[in-house]
Amino acid sequence: MFSRSVLRSLTSDLRLSAPTSVSSVNAISQRACLHQTAWLRTTQQQSEPQSSSPIPEAPLSATSQTPLQNTISQSRNAIPLEKQPVAPTFTSPIEVSKSLMEQLPHLVGQTPHYVVAELHARPYLLTEGDHIRLPFLMPKVKTGDILRFNRASALGSRDFTLKGAPHIDERLFECRVRVIGVESEPLRIKEKTKRRQRHVKQAKSKHRYTIMRVMDVRVKSPEELLEEGAVVVEDAEDSPQIEARS
Amino acid sequence: MPVQGLRTVTSARNGVGAFILQCKRLDFHYCNHGGSSRGMLAFLTQTLPEFARENPQIEVRVAPRHGKHPVIKGQYINGREKAICVRNMEPGEILKKAMILKDASGEKLKRTKKPVTSLNESVRGIWSPYHGDLRGV
Repeated sequence: MFSRSVLRSLTSDLRLSAPTSVSSVNAISQRACLHQTAWLRTTQQQSEPQSSSPIPEAPLSATSQTPLQNTISQSRNAIPLEKQPVAPTFTSPIEVSKSLMEQLPHLVGQTPHYVVAELHARPYLLTEGDHIRLPFLMPKVKTGDILRFNRASALGSRDFTLKGAPHIDERLFECRVRVIGVESEPLRIKEKTKRRQRHVKQAKSKHRYTIMRVMDVRVKSPEELLEEGAVVVEDAEDSPQIEARS
Repeated sequence: MPVQGLRTVTSARNGVGAFILQCKRLDFHYCNHGGSSRGMLAFLTQTLPEFARENPQIEVRVAPRHGKHPVIKGQYINGREKAICVRNMEPGEILKKAMILKDASGEKLKRTKKPVTSLNESVRGIWSPYHGDLRGV
């Protein structure tokens, strides 16, 4: 979940190099997706020559490489190998039911979106540009890091909601946050007393919290899903559905 | 006609597009004579050059202040200042304090209960009793 993807100064050239085949609705907000299925990545790399051009012309899903292959995108050159973002590996492609495929354009077309992202089993309702102050200090992150939240229990717009049972597949959406810094609270002093003693002990504590900013909340369109190798299956009882508002 | 103030159209949301570190300057004050500055003097000679190299976006100033305890002061983009007294501390502890000042947002410390603060309007709108279908009671 916390795979560190430091994409500083990356967003602009990523947007420039967005593939043109994606539907016009999402052409602007196309970003690197680091969650391709493992088998898909290998097939892509076999099929296309290893690009050494400064701006990759392929969809950026193809740029998430394993460090062993010496084809890290240029904008991430400065980052040491061991800190390159690690793409998750999936054993099977995402399965999308027919009805979800039909309903998904309604949800994609209606902006803005919200996502109920879960972090340590706590839900956070997020929209783009929100300020988060986690109730804990997140270890091993530095200011400026970009994290991707991949566990969500609900995803929606004004009229449509996609509910997960209990979670939505992480390949259906993108939610990125940036670590802005660390804040602390004012010093708490609690007075501790023992019986029949005049002495009052003061217990002091000052917790520190990680603060973050939501960079984007995006639902993927059916075309993108198919491009990434989604498999359309028949409706089942437990397949996720988009609920329209009554 | 009363003077109309300018309405703010946008508000800064650092980190959504570009990200700027909020700490813009760190001042290190020390005393050449005092014993409480001993750790600080070691920090200035050993650790500080590397710290400054790692954080090129922060201006680092070192200035002597005679007869006083060593202090690190951070200047922030929002105009505020934070100061931490580092008397009798080891260089490692002083580095931790410098990191605190570097990561801080410059805001006054507050206790908040809600984890998420949003400037956006509610995505699903506000519930109204006059709209939507009647639900069975």
